[in-house]
Amino acid sequence: MAALKETDLRMFVDSVRRYFDVTCRMSPEITAAYLGTDALATHDFNGVVSFSGRFSGQVIVSLPGVALRELLLMQRETDLSEANLLDAVGEIANTLAGNARQALGSSLEISVPSTVRGRAGRPARVRKHPYVITFRWNTYPGLVCVDLEPLG
Amino acid sequence: MKLLVVDDSNMVRSRIARIVQAGVLGEVTIVGLARNGEEALRAARLAPPDVVTMDLTMPEMDGLACIPSLLAIHPGANILVISALTDKSTAIRALRLGARGFLPKPFGDDALRSALQDLMDHRI
Repeated sequence: MAALKETDLRMFVDSVRRYFDVTCRMSPEITAAYLGTDALATHDFNGVVSFSGRFSGQVIVSLPGVALRELLLMQRETDLSEANLLDAVGEIANTLAGNARQALGSSLEISVPSTVRGRAGRPARVRKHPYVITFRWNTYPGLVCVDLEPLG
Repeated sequence: MKLLVVDDSNMVRSRIARIVQAGVLGEVTIVGLARNGEEALRAARLAPPDVVTMDLTMPEMDGLACIPSLLAIHPGANILVISALTDKSTAIRALRLGARGFLPKPFGDDALRSALQDLMDHRI
């Protein structure tokens, strides 16, 4: 089965843009896209969705708490607890991963999101050098890691 | 309109509740906020909803499993699926199971109001 193509990665970039554009009418600036190392330097709130089926691996969305607080405030949310910040980053990961099925195929199975607090580097699961997309939204940095490999 | 909101994300449940209660859709009563399909079925037994917003990817019982069970309890419920699973086959499957509409995530406030208004007007 073919590896991820450039168009597949562009789809993730477009999904990041669309998420913030549609949800709070403020587009992020994509600052870089590169092959990362196997221990990612993440921000302090991380949402992880696992893939199985045609591809195995994970997609990680990582944002600082201050960005997630701003995102919630823009949606008129008043609960800015740590639990709700983790919920928010998990939902962003879920949305990007779910949207990916349109390009990667509906036989792709995605998990419910798990969330992790803390900046400790997260290991890549299937790729030695996962794809990393960094962006800046509303002055805050963010990161999406696409750590996927085709099965079979 | 009696509305049941089903989504495993607290952020999404709260956002949907705020949007529909802003007044544009007329009188809306939130009869339940459920985190998965099982909670949705319990809520629908207690207070039958006119409209249900239904996520698909959820723990315990997902949306595709919940739709037919919920319609068995309350056949009159109008279900609007709101999901990040935007591939065509998933949308078709949800509609075949009895959902009346499909709104892809991410969604804007106006898109949600419009989808719910269409559902309430039976234009879908």
